Amino acid sequence: MRELRTCLPLVIGLLAAPTALAAPVTPPVHPLAVPTAVAGTSVDGTFEGDDTSEGERADGDAVESAPAVLIHAGRVIVRPGKELEGVDVLIEGGRIAAVGVGLEVPEGARVIEGAVVCAGFIDPWSTLGIDGASLSDRGAGPATRTVDGFDPYAEKAWREAALAAGVTVARIQAGAGSRIGGLGAMVRNDRNASLDSILLSDACVAAQVEGGDVFERLDSVEKIVQSIEKGDRYRRSQIDYESDLAEWEEAIAKAEKELEDDFKKAKKDRKKEMDEAREKGKEFKEKRYKEDSRPRAPRFDADSQVLARVASGELPIVIEAHRVAEMRLLLELMAKQPRTRWILAGASDGHLIAEELDDAGVTVLVVPERRGLGGRFGAKELQLAGQLQSAGVDVMIGTAGDSEVRDLPLLAAMAVGHGLDREAALAAITTRPARAFDLADRAGTVEVGKNADLVVLTGDPLASSSRVQFVVLGGEVVVERE
Amino acid sequence: MNHRTSRQAGIGSRLFTGIAFAAVATAPFAQADKLVIEAGRIIQNSGTEIENGVIVVEDGRIVAIGPAAEVEKPWDAPVVGGPELVAFPGFIEAHSNRGMDRPNENIDVAPFLDVRDSIDPINLYFEDCLRWGVTTINVQQGNDTVVAAKGRIVHPTGMTVEEMTVRPNYGLKLSAAPKRGNSRATQAQALRGAFGDLQRYLEDVVADARQGGDLARREALYQGRDMEGEKAKGRAMGGSTWKVDGLELIPRGAIDEQQEPLLELVEGRYDAFVWCGSPRDVHLAIDIATQNGFLDRTTLVLDSSCWKAADVIAAAGLDVILQGSQMDTETDPVTGEETETFVPGVFAEKGITFALSSENASSNSLWFQAARAVAHGLDRAAALDAVTTTPAAILGLGDQVGSLEVGKLADILLLSGDPLSSQSWVEHAFIEGNHVYDRSKDVRNKYIFEGQQPLGAGSASPQGVESVGVVEESNDDEDAEEK
Repeated sequence: MRELRTCLPLVIGLLAAPTALAAPVTPPVHPLAVPTAVAGTSVDGTFEGDDTSEGERADGDAVESAPAVLIHAGRVIVRPGKELEGVDVLIEGGRIAAVGVGLEVPEGARVIEGAVVCAGFIDPWSTLGIDGASLSDRGAGPATRTVDGFDPYAEKAWREAALAAGVTVARIQAGAGSRIGGLGAMVRNDRNASLDSILLSDACVAAQVEGGDVFERLDSVEKIVQSIEKGDRYRRSQIDYESDLAEWEEAIAKAEKELEDDFKKAKKDRKKEMDEAREKGKEFKEKRYKEDSRPRAPRFDADSQVLARVASGELPIVIEAHRVAEMRLLLELMAKQPRTRWILAGASDGHLIAEELDDAGVTVLVVPERRGLGGRFGAKELQLAGQLQSAGVDVMIGTAGDSEVRDLPLLAAMAVGHGLDREAALAAITTRPARAFDLADRAGTVEVGKNADLVVLTGDPLASSSRVQFVVLGGEVVVERE
Repeated sequence: MNHRTSRQAGIGSRLFTGIAFAAVATAPFAQADKLVIEAGRIIQNSGTEIENGVIVVEDGRIVAIGPAAEVEKPWDAPVVGGPELVAFPGFIEAHSNRGMDRPNENIDVAPFLDVRDSIDPINLYFEDCLRWGVTTINVQQGNDTVVAAKGRIVHPTGMTVEEMTVRPNYGLKLSAAPKRGNSRATQAQALRGAFGDLQRYLEDVVADARQGGDLARREALYQGRDMEGEKAKGRAMGGSTWKVDGLELIPRGAIDEQQEPLLELVEGRYDAFVWCGSPRDVHLAIDIATQNGFLDRTTLVLDSSCWKAADVIAAAGLDVILQGSQMDTETDPVTGEETETFVPGVFAEKGITFALSSENASSNSLWFQAARAVAHGLDRAAALDAVTTTPAAILGLGDQVGSLEVGKLADILLLSGDPLSSQSWVEHAFIEGNHVYDRSKDVRNKYIFEGQQPLGAGSASPQGVESVGVVEESNDDEDAEEK
């Protein structure tokens, strides 16, 4: 049995046990045998926008034509908490085709030697490429789309810097100047960005608790939740309309058939039955036709349409709140919206109610350098991530325009220095943002079938002494530093 | 003190002469049935020239053109010109938002308005057009908009807008660049919203009509009548990319006239001019035009930095009008290094059809734009095309204007030298055979260059008018000096 097992192919896919690696190296396997089938199964991003569609960009995330790349890695961090020693990562068609020991080098493939390979970092909140006006626009509403404010021609230098630091994907968010600021998007951090860099044009909706004093801010919380409720009502009214319409159409068809039959009969026996049928028809008309008009569709409301998607849980909503009172109110009100997926952002005073946040099961997006609103919330956020995590709350770490995107791994490393455990810190900038913003099937881990967005470093990804050697984006080696 | 007083009086009087001159210059001259124009050199178009040529004009059109020896001149036609002059087709402004009382509207989406109501026939701009040889102008609302008013193609002569008009109800202006008060994101939202609103409006109209139709049918059923022969009458309508099911049931007259111009755009009956202030806007413009089915009738009006989206424009196969400066300057945010790009050069290289426009503030007219492009290395023929045949083609007037050929309108300039030389003057301009400009009678020019006081100058003028005159005049002085 043991012998048989060692002879088995050691291609480590999504579910392969890490223990298998302890076994001695076996004859190489044809690397294409398993993975190609898996690679094709990667789910394309869903986009169900209304009439305002800029089109699905999901197909642009893999460079199909890029040549194959094989990385001989000292260590592969498959995902936080799961690491493999001495394995190879094969990249084909822009996706990870195989992770395994002693993979055969396909013809024409480029071979790279690297110490540590991990998934490209994901910034759960960035402002890269969005013009200032779109960021601060007070006229933005839920239906405003960040992708419309995204300028792929702008900020190339900053994008390059972020890419060189290993940040491969970011959630961009416009509309920070209004209470509910519109649809955020997930974009790939291409050096020469184009609209094809957009992985998910409708990734989430963002809201912020506004106001100076506590009453204003509590009021703002209520208004945010009321908007979601209004979206929910809008969704219900549409469902109602559809069922009413079906019912009405059926009833009318039946009634018309009845009338028609009556008249067919009447034609046969005109004198006698005509009056009878007419009487019946008249009755029917008075009863049904005059008042029985076709149900009308609910009045179109672009904002409610988007919030309906939030209310139904199709899109997550990121709500920025800082103080204890407003967070408690949010927890209370959002508990009545069980279908809504929400993420708490900022949460400056979150450590004071860490237990409550844990009980609610909410994910918190910590912005370590946010000193917004005149610095009133202090800069405790380096400890905050650790404090929340030890209470059991899942945290993400983002830049939100307050730090450079290229500093994202550094922020995570600093959070480790202030009490966040290492695995959680890595998860905070890889798997958690991917899961929160519906990219878990494409990004965040080094697994077969995922987009080949990888960072190759000289050491641990969260050590400041580690240097990025290579960055692979969509299967292409875009950063090289020997 | 004395000096100042006299200067004020002078300025005041110049305003008067301005008005007086405009009246003279824009009045249609008595229609000459026949006209013979002689020139030492006729530049028919960027490719063909005639030495010692003659152009015969009849009823506003060119009926014969060729070397003096070969063309028979009608004995009864007046002769203008001379061997020292160069004949050239009138320049064509493919897109302008000047000549109007006000170039912009406060309303974001206003396709039901018409620049007709804003064009001012005595606006000094039109007088300047004659002086610089621009004979056809596409007047469109200003760029600070979402969906703007209907435009109009005009000649710079005429006492009324109707007299000036070449083509009414021509083109709708859209802007992909943020209107004041909008950000890029909300501008896009507003632009998409305009078409979304139109679609929902039409769906509502259809739903109402169907409801009425349903009731009528049921009533007929009740009365024992057949509905045959009573089918609703109407015109088939609908966009080329999206269609509202059942719209053919709606008679055209039932469509709200506020919505109709946008519907016509979607149906492909209107040309669209889409302003793009940055390369990102080009993507939005193409996206909107593609989604709503008017891409093949779209012309992009571009600011300088839009050259970066040249590949996208080439792929979409669009024509462009360059409204920004011909040189685009960029500063590298890291090194501070400045790079300059010659914008028309990029479009020429990518094979994109482009027209030059005189809109940018640094210079005045089309001859200068073309000359400048040549100075930066653009081929002379390409530069001449970009201010004559190309704009004519963009405006759908390719068979009417843009070159001197038999059958085309007699929009002809007689210049004192090469059209691209800064030493040349427009000596005479003809529009549809009418002699509309004669430099020897250009009062304003005379005053500026010869100090000759026009008739009526020096008389007292009201105070209020003077202050207006200062603004108007100071602009015009600069313009004239540059030329």
